[in-house]
Amino acid sequence: MQFNRREFIGLGSLLLGSPVLASHGQDTSSALFLSAASNSRDEHWIVGFRWQAEQAVPVFQHALPGRAHHIAIHEGLGIYIVIARRPGSYLWIGDLESGAFLAEITVPDDRHLFGHGVFSADGSRFYAPESDWQDMTGDSGRIVSWQVRRSSDSVSMERLDEHPSYGVGPHEILLMPDQDTLVVANGGIRTHPETGREKLNIDTMQPSLVYMSASTGQLFEQRFLEEHYHQASIRHMDQTADGLIAFGIQYEGEPFDSVPLIATHRRGEAIRTLWAPEPQQGQMSQYVGSVRFDNGGRVFAASCPRGNMITFWDSERGEMIDAVRSRDGCGICAMESGFLFTTGTGRIAWYDPVQAVTRDVNAEGFDKLFWDNHLSMVNPAMKG
Amino acid sequence: MKRFLCLLAGGLLSQGLLAQSNENWTEVNLAVTDNQVIPAYADFAAASASLSDAGNAFCAAPDESSLSHFREQFHASMDAWQGIQHIQFGPITYFNWNYRVHYWPDEKGTGGRQLDALIAGKNSEVLVLENFARESVGVQGFPALERLLFADDSLQALQSDQYRCQVTQTIAANISDIASGVHSRWVEEFRTTVANADDRGFFENAEDATIDFLKAQVESVRRVQQQKVEEIIGESAGQERVRRAESWRSGRSLRNLRVNVAALATLFNGNGTQATHLGSVLLPEDEVLVAEKFAILQSTLQALPDSFEEALAAEAGYASLQLVAAQLDTVFETLEASLKNTDLYLGFNSLDGD
Repeated sequence: MQFNRREFIGLGSLLLGSPVLASHGQDTSSALFLSAASNSRDEHWIVGFRWQAEQAVPVFQHALPGRAHHIAIHEGLGIYIVIARRPGSYLWIGDLESGAFLAEITVPDDRHLFGHGVFSADGSRFYAPESDWQDMTGDSGRIVSWQVRRSSDSVSMERLDEHPSYGVGPHEILLMPDQDTLVVANGGIRTHPETGREKLNIDTMQPSLVYMSASTGQLFEQRFLEEHYHQASIRHMDQTADGLIAFGIQYEGEPFDSVPLIATHRRGEAIRTLWAPEPQQGQMSQYVGSVRFDNGGRVFAASCPRGNMITFWDSERGEMIDAVRSRDGCGICAMESGFLFTTGTGRIAWYDPVQAVTRDVNAEGFDKLFWDNHLSMVNPAMKG
Repeated sequence: MKRFLCLLAGGLLSQGLLAQSNENWTEVNLAVTDNQVIPAYADFAAASASLSDAGNAFCAAPDESSLSHFREQFHASMDAWQGIQHIQFGPITYFNWNYRVHYWPDEKGTGGRQLDALIAGKNSEVLVLENFARESVGVQGFPALERLLFADDSLQALQSDQYRCQVTQTIAANISDIASGVHSRWVEEFRTTVANADDRGFFENAEDATIDFLKAQVESVRRVQQQKVEEIIGESAGQERVRRAESWRSGRSLRNLRVNVAALATLFNGNGTQATHLGSVLLPEDEVLVAEKFAILQSTLQALPDSFEEALAAEAGYASLQLVAAQLDTVFETLEASLKNTDLYLGFNSLDGD
């Protein structure tokens, strides 16, 4: 019942076709990684580190007002935005070079954030999902657009307008290359500030994948999983340059139910559900935490922090091609070759697709940090 | 091990010490595997084989005496299961074995409805063991068998309906089949996986395997506190919900708890003859503290009867159950605080994801 990597040898050959293959420790000194992190004293941080000479070298670490989730980066403006974890309400903006704090913005009292957001390519807009939580019956998901302005020593964000997300609990959000189509993962789960993170509608939830206009809010396309999978919360996703979406699922039903946890979708087509072979499908523990395509755009990684495993998938063949053990592993970034990932135990590691093994990155410079769910990166050696 | 952890606590981690630690983690892992896990699964397999035999004997001649024997074997098999229920990694997770042995809590009463439908269907094909394994988890394990064996009219119902009796036989055989499967997988495969955890096969390293044992230890204490005690006793006296207890039909929900805590204490302390046990990963003073808290809790549980109904009927019964919940909480908090004095993290994203 153990992983047999030889069964998945296809991954290495697929990735050999990727544009750039840097070996471990080479040509990565300029890559900057950002992640939210916490410690055992329940203190929360934004941490920047570089991967140099096989070490994760701390660059900055700043205290945050509460636990965060995803970090959105705009290289041109030289800023990053830390988005508060659900049901938090702050956006914390920092300078990308020094890491220094620039501004903090709080969403209105009747709203909360979901931990995700995305910049437009030119940096003038930032889109973030919110919950209009006073609406306890309708589609309470909102996509809010902000106008972003950067001067030499400050940044301003003006709340511009908002549109419905066409669902409940919008989670990760992507902007497609046309710069108008937003892809929204409506997780489907309703919460209320009075009951914190308690899930209030598990029996009736209806998650969906939505394509909508960032400018007008028009719904372009909405896809649902089959009705008997209505408790499969669509939460995290990534896209390729040619518009393929891969998404991960967090299942709210029984732990022994047979449900898809990975799927892909392309506009105008049906959702394609992907299944891992057993025992890996069961070991995914009904929970996918983060999804990222590799540099070549065919293979993607999906982390399973509850299953202590990171899985790798071939989006064309629709098959899982490898899985590696990773205790509480969740944050993932595509590198020139393979993936860097972080874990809730404080580990940083690189998945080498050619050898199909993971190699630990020396991370002793950090003082007992637990890396949060998502890892973001600026890597001039790679596009995007 | 303790010297290593003292050094760690002092912040003196180096590659050399890390290498030394891996041997120690493996020593702990194998001590627990060989002294606690495999013997407990062997007990479960043996008791469940006897349960299956008792089911066959009962259905061949269903009378008061054979039913009484079947029930005794149910208790023995359930005792063995409760003694290893806390291990929720490794072979027990294959083929949904854990849920098939014991689907609980069943908040919507699904198991009962499915069992009624199965019996009404009278389909003999369903009772072929390999087919039965594909039936809903709610009809396959202890809760379903308990429903059939511990009703007031069980004897009459089972005597008058041969198919109903065959269902009890099949459930007992199914539990036995799973118990023997889990045991043999541990002996033949997973012990080797644990022993070779540093080879980066299933586990990241030996410490990763130790963390699975520690999660079994710590998270089970919390689960028992919340699911098996607090959920039953409610917020205050008079609000008890005894039918939410794990085995209320057979009147043994507190007995389950007593067995769970005894097994968790043995997991932590070892069996008395082991030089190394799971508690060895803590600082010596913390290990003593946790052991003391377990002893206090066990002493409280020892004085209680097997069922919540009996306990609540006694004078100051409610207060005694509140005390159990509080002492479970103390054990959990002491374990948590002790782990913070080590470099061991049980989880972060996995505990409360998003």
